[in-house]
Amino acid sequence: MSAVRKGPSLSLKAREAITGWLFVSPILTGFLIFFVGPLIAVFYYSTTEWNLLSQQSRFVGMANYVDALTRNETFWDVLVNSLVFAAGLVPLNMAMALGLALALSKSRPGAVFFRTVFFAPVITSAVAWAIIWTFLLQHESGAVNQGLSIFGIDGPNWLHEPDWAMVSVIFTRVLKTVGLNMILYIAALQSIPRDYDEAARIEGASNWEIFRRITWPLLAPTTLVIMVITVVGSLKVFDHIYLMTGGGPQNGTMVLAFYIYEQGFKFFNTGYAAALAVVLFALILLLTIVQMLLKAARK
Amino acid sequence: MSDLMIKRLIYSAAITSSLGFGANTVSAEELRFTVWTGSEAHLKMLGEIADSFTATHPDVTVRFDTIPFGDYVQKITLQMAGGNAPDLGWLLENSAPAFVDAGALADVSGTLKSADGYDYADFSQPAMGLWETSDATYGIPFSTSPFLVYYNKSLYDAAGLETPDQRIKDGSWTWEQLKSDAKALRDASSGVWGFETFDGQGYGSRVWHTLIPIIRAYGGSAWEGDSCKLDSPLSVQAVQLFHDMVYADGSTVPPGEQGDFFSGKAALTVTQISRVSKLADATFDWGIAPLPSGPAGDAATVGQAAVVAFAQGKHKELAAEFLAHMTNKENVAKMAAFFPPARKSVLNGDGFLTSNTAVAPEKMAFVAEGIESGSVLPSHQRFPQIEAEARPNFDALWSKNADVAATMKKLCSGISPLL
Repeated sequence: MSAVRKGPSLSLKAREAITGWLFVSPILTGFLIFFVGPLIAVFYYSTTEWNLLSQQSRFVGMANYVDALTRNETFWDVLVNSLVFAAGLVPLNMAMALGLALALSKSRPGAVFFRTVFFAPVITSAVAWAIIWTFLLQHESGAVNQGLSIFGIDGPNWLHEPDWAMVSVIFTRVLKTVGLNMILYIAALQSIPRDYDEAARIEGASNWEIFRRITWPLLAPTTLVIMVITVVGSLKVFDHIYLMTGGGPQNGTMVLAFYIYEQGFKFFNTGYAAALAVVLFALILLLTIVQMLLKAARK
Repeated sequence: MSDLMIKRLIYSAAITSSLGFGANTVSAEELRFTVWTGSEAHLKMLGEIADSFTATHPDVTVRFDTIPFGDYVQKITLQMAGGNAPDLGWLLENSAPAFVDAGALADVSGTLKSADGYDYADFSQPAMGLWETSDATYGIPFSTSPFLVYYNKSLYDAAGLETPDQRIKDGSWTWEQLKSDAKALRDASSGVWGFETFDGQGYGSRVWHTLIPIIRAYGGSAWEGDSCKLDSPLSVQAVQLFHDMVYADGSTVPPGEQGDFFSGKAALTVTQISRVSKLADATFDWGIAPLPSGPAGDAATVGQAAVVAFAQGKHKELAAEFLAHMTNKENVAKMAAFFPPARKSVLNGDGFLTSNTAVAPEKMAFVAEGIESGSVLPSHQRFPQIEAEARPNFDALWSKNADVAATMKKLCSGISPLL
């Protein structure tokens, strides 16, 4: 019988801590290597003039930022496009999501079917979604314009006219993403105790008053979450633009994420692209903080 | 056997195998070769060339890696930046100056010039222009492919029109004639367009392919030295002709529409000989003609692609050897069925005219003539930037009321600083 070996004794707390760290270490390692590392690297790269093709790199300090913010006119156009996209998408998406949630949160015939219908695009491949819509939005042979022609309306060339391209990408993006927000709102609506609704009705409140005084305030935390994720998602949009318009026509749908891609991977100005990515990060951070502060101020 | 003994055996087996003792010591090497074709016929032919290399290099395999055309340059650049550069690949003419300038391509002149029976001087000098300097060679063009007009003969016959072939004989095959034919052959009721642009992408990534052949036939050009010529009266006249085809005549597939020539939905298109493989199952009669002439005469335009070895590839010497093998006389003749060669001996030999069984020898003669007389599409060290700067202005052309002259002037003022 072998003797039991005794190693250096560790306290229970220390052993638990080690076990805990060991359990989280696989995901933590991945998080550090694939998320935190690149995040720090982007800040460093943004201070360099790094050509991806030649692999030549030199430190240029803040020159990339100065160029983007003071000399590059396209950058400001692109920034405005990103804000227009967000300003169009976020209210439309949230209003539709809330409307659908109010209509479909209660158990009524067909509710589950329509929830599925509106959620299906969320789990549909973004590529398939965009490609199908480019066909539907064709000028003469597209289903949308053929449908409009039944009512005597001569539809525009949706994706190839500067005035309509942004509208088209916003609308098709809303249809793609509204289902997720709808589900979040439905979950929030179903968590509101029915007693409030019943008490208000006994007091003679109308449907609108119940919504405005009870439902909407109680949805506020969910609304904030939805607003933050929708704003962030709209500023990061890339795949949809890449597949449907390629930033055109006339740069009319060239948003910041797509412009970063072009600078980095088409022109090989990787340092410059990193600086633009930091600007996008700062913009998203700023908008998120503003939303948080507005929420806090209302309390 | 004790636990300790078993553990020692496992450790020593692991160590010896990691050091290569007792394990399979054959050092097989794989060359990775990037291409943008997914065509079964093309890949089969490339595979046969790789097999013949493996016959003399038994330890070497060649893997052809297909990357979609639209993402090709970005993807190989990312692979290079990520330390996973391909050993060899195809590269288009408009990427050549930037890649050469960045030192991304390996100089293969030593290997090529010392390869047995290679005959480096056999390559046409104009075709080599983009790929060599006085003392270095960065690639060998495997495809110097003139643009051709493909036409749907069944539609021409049904309409009772003279075909481009017939018009070539009497010298009336002009861009004006093509415009007129396209208008006559447009049949909106059956969804047939008169003319489809290059691969249906003629307003986006291939807008240069659409406009440059017409501009040259009218005596214009993209740029000369650092001077933009796209706003010259001749260039504007050419662009106006195409604009009229799209908007005044309504004969050409406009932006945002589909009209595939190869499925019979367009009567005419401009493309290259490699696309003939898409007509294998065509349900209509078709023909091939050279590009029409313009007021400045014939202006054959050539798209070019080369085989290059990447400077960061892991097997540079072996890659250069495979490049030499792939572009030797025998293999260039083999590839000539799809990719018109820059080797004079192959181009001028009888074999070239009969290399593609789907194309009659007299049609292949158009290809040979196009290579002899054609000029390559415009390229520049800063082509991606020029393309991006030009894009919004090209986009501005595609509306019914566009002012072509003013738009081309604006386009030139945008790209001039980049030239």
